[in-house]
Amino acid sequence: MKLFRRLRYWLGARQNQADLAEEIEFHRAMGGAMGNTTIAREDSRAVWIWPWLESVMQDVRYALRNLRAHPGFTSVAILALGCAIGLNTSLFTVFNAIAIRPWPIADPGRVVNIFELDDRLRTFGFSLEEFRYLAAHSKTISGVVAIGNGQKVRIDDGKAVASSVSGSFFSVLGIGMQQGRGFRADEDLVDAPQPVVVLSYVFWQTRMGSDPSAIGKQLRIEDTPFTIVGVTGSDFTGNSAQVFDLYIPISARSIIEPHTTWMKDYLHSPNYCCTNIAGRLAPGVSRAQAEAELAVLHQQFRAQNHDESHGVRLTGTAFLNTGKSEKILPVFALMSLAVFLVLLLACANVGNLLLARAAARQHEISVRLSLGANRARIVRQLLTESLVLACTAGVVGVAIAFWLPSLVFRYAVNDNLSFRLVPDSVVLMYALALSAATCIIFGLAPSLHATRPGGIRSRFSLRSVLLTAQVALSVVLLVGAGLMTRGVQRARTQDPGFTISGVSIAQFDLPASSYDAARSRAFFAQLSRDLARQPVGLTRLAPLGNGQNWTSFRLPNETEKQGKTVAVQEINRGYLDVLGIPILEGRMLEDADSNRSVVLINQTLANRFFDGNALGKSVVAGKPYAPHEIVGIVKDAYTTTLDEVSPTIYFPISGDSIPLALFRTTPGTADAIAGVAKQIDARTGTTFTPLTVNLDKYLQASRAGAAIAEGLGGFALALATIGMFGVFAYCVEQRTKEIGIRMALGARPVEVIRLVLGSSSRAVFIGLLLGFAAAAAASQLLRKLLFGLSPFDPVSYTMVVVLLVAAGLGATFLPARRATKIDPMSALRCE
Amino acid sequence: MGTDKSSELLPGTLDLLVLKSLARGRMHGYGIAQHLKTISEDVLQVGESSLYPALQRLLLNGYVEAEWGISENNRRARYYTLTALGRKQLSAERKEFDRMVLAIQKVLA
Repeated sequence: MKLFRRLRYWLGARQNQADLAEEIEFHRAMGGAMGNTTIAREDSRAVWIWPWLESVMQDVRYALRNLRAHPGFTSVAILALGCAIGLNTSLFTVFNAIAIRPWPIADPGRVVNIFELDDRLRTFGFSLEEFRYLAAHSKTISGVVAIGNGQKVRIDDGKAVASSVSGSFFSVLGIGMQQGRGFRADEDLVDAPQPVVVLSYVFWQTRMGSDPSAIGKQLRIEDTPFTIVGVTGSDFTGNSAQVFDLYIPISARSIIEPHTTWMKDYLHSPNYCCTNIAGRLAPGVSRAQAEAELAVLHQQFRAQNHDESHGVRLTGTAFLNTGKSEKILPVFALMSLAVFLVLLLACANVGNLLLARAAARQHEISVRLSLGANRARIVRQLLTESLVLACTAGVVGVAIAFWLPSLVFRYAVNDNLSFRLVPDSVVLMYALALSAATCIIFGLAPSLHATRPGGIRSRFSLRSVLLTAQVALSVVLLVGAGLMTRGVQRARTQDPGFTISGVSIAQFDLPASSYDAARSRAFFAQLSRDLARQPVGLTRLAPLGNGQNWTSFRLPNETEKQGKTVAVQEINRGYLDVLGIPILEGRMLEDADSNRSVVLINQTLANRFFDGNALGKSVVAGKPYAPHEIVGIVKDAYTTTLDEVSPTIYFPISGDSIPLALFRTTPGTADAIAGVAKQIDARTGTTFTPLTVNLDKYLQASRAGAAIAEGLGGFALALATIGMFGVFAYCVEQRTKEIGIRMALGARPVEVIRLVLGSSSRAVFIGLLLGFAAAAAASQLLRKLLFGLSPFDPVSYTMVVVLLVAAGLGATFLPARRATKIDPMSALRCE
Repeated sequence: MGTDKSSELLPGTLDLLVLKSLARGRMHGYGIAQHLKTISEDVLQVGESSLYPALQRLLLNGYVEAEWGISENNRRARYYTLTALGRKQLSAERKEFDRMVLAIQKVLA
């Protein structure tokens, strides 16, 4: 009650102090001036603070003294909780960076991503033509920007990643500049694109040596000189996960890629979709109002172009809003679950240690109770101890969260990402709340238990419950880790249906601006001719290269509405030879096929759409969209992903652009290929990548995931071992006298061990059973990450049993040895 | 808290006196001080710096409640009333005080 009144006072502290001042003023006005009003006010206020604060300080001091007196317990508890809080805070730091933090721009709360929806309510970008329409007609959005994808470009002295943005980009988003200016609207006119470039701060710093007079200088992009007009401020880290070095006007893409066939459509066609756009809400306009207006404009635009619309959606600018959430959120959910389990495990562990300590302090507590301390007061004191522990652990946790996320990202993700993985105030609040919550979870039950009237009764065992929980939780985490590890192993060793080792990819690198379709075809033809002596595969997509093209196909007797989406590859005969993918039915592709309407399909497609009888039939697909005869059926190969094979159509490769070449890595081949390329055009650079590198890159994220799972599992195992050890050691300690008597009466060591370990072993055993049941259920969530490994993989489960039995034996060894080494005489004498 | 010596009261008696004054009905701070002064024939002169902390203490313990009202001279003033808990406390402190005074008198006699 008193606490409640105190809280209420502090909630209205300002009002209460004003009341007091007025009251004293009234007193003086009535003529009662006697003494110092300031002292009167301060003493009055002190009534509400001081005794309470003092007793809290007293509790904290007492707690610190107590914790310092037991350094072993304290360090284990802080380490366990600190790591657990650190893991949770780290994950939250990442979540904050990608799902909560908006773009680093001026007033980001008013900026929204704008998407159009398809009939299944999936979000897409707009065509540039529609972007211009919306920008011209919207009243609820004060400025709209378009953001093209990043692309690698050749610059003066190497390569850079360029983002193409609309002329409004810098001004509408309010991006601070280190030097110079952003683009002007008149620099991004489709009919008169200007070769101007804005450098990112990092690019300017690292590649131009922070040149103070960079503005006005020239930078050659794809052999075209661009004028540097600005350098972004250091706090603008970009508005995408990708790190961009340069920004060019969208329309300037036609300057650096004059021969790209789709460029005209991209810049002009009202149907060429998928440029991301964002807008700043006009003053006083809500997101819903803007969404309503844009939906109408979108419908108008679509109607003008004889197309239907399914509405628009506005979202915030955090990374996760840009259409990536379906992929990322499930992974996050899984990881949150895992680190939350670790936190529970750490709480159970520390809770158990606290219980053991409370038992040791039974004497002290009962003395205080019998001296008249009330129970609430002692509980508060014990909780203060927990809180001090939790807060210290929270500090450790935040320290961990400062370096762990970026470390994991560096290990798990190849590319340089622009996320700021450093805890900010939101993260600190989270860590604080988490520490407070853990304090309640691990501290409340033991302190209530320890102060129960009548003392601790040994029959009811909160300790056993906590031990069971620890074992069960660690089983779940270990099974998860085991499955993930075995899944990655399986992915590496299983037969992918094509040859990986001994095969390399050659990538030809020519200035895009100097190659039109005709010259590409000539280059291509010469390459094929010169390399004819050895099998060289030509394709557009590197195996396991993180790319996939899709096409629509239908049977000749079907309507266009019945079209199905399947994967598509362009290949030559050498592709199948080099990768060792056999033809099951029909024939190989021949060089002459590039002029014929023939295709190969894979087994999956043949089985799914033709019941296996596909040979000789026709499909309508490709460019031009016309019937093609199926001349061969190819064995399934996991060339795109290792978990499944999509139905795939293989077209004879066209010569329109420079392909990738696949070849068997034999001595001299790489040089021969590079030589041929140089002969054709001296400027051609050739890079070689073994397929194993692609495989490693492909598996990198999964392997990192497995490593994280292993780390969590190992941590869980360590905690469970400490937990078991603690309980066993405590049992021996508590029953020293009893053991002494039994041994004096002739008990054999085995019987003593059984006595000591009996009850706790049952807890461990129940924990194992519960853990395996929970793991079997939880592992279903992992199914997608296991590369086809069964979530009930017996090897993983067996490994976990072996590990835990070993840990259990390790944990019992010392206590058991101590029990059998008890000297009956000294045990009896010490009472 | 109680560094003020001017009241020259026995420690703890101020709370008792305030509670007793309020037993007659609601009063504002100045009224309580005046009441104590009049009844004690100018012996007990309580200053703001001890009266108001005492009142806050009583508020904190839930012995009194405060509300704003209009004083006899038409000004806003804060009036205190005794709660049920305060009434109980008054009789308990009263008994304790009597016992103490009796004991002191016995010693001095």
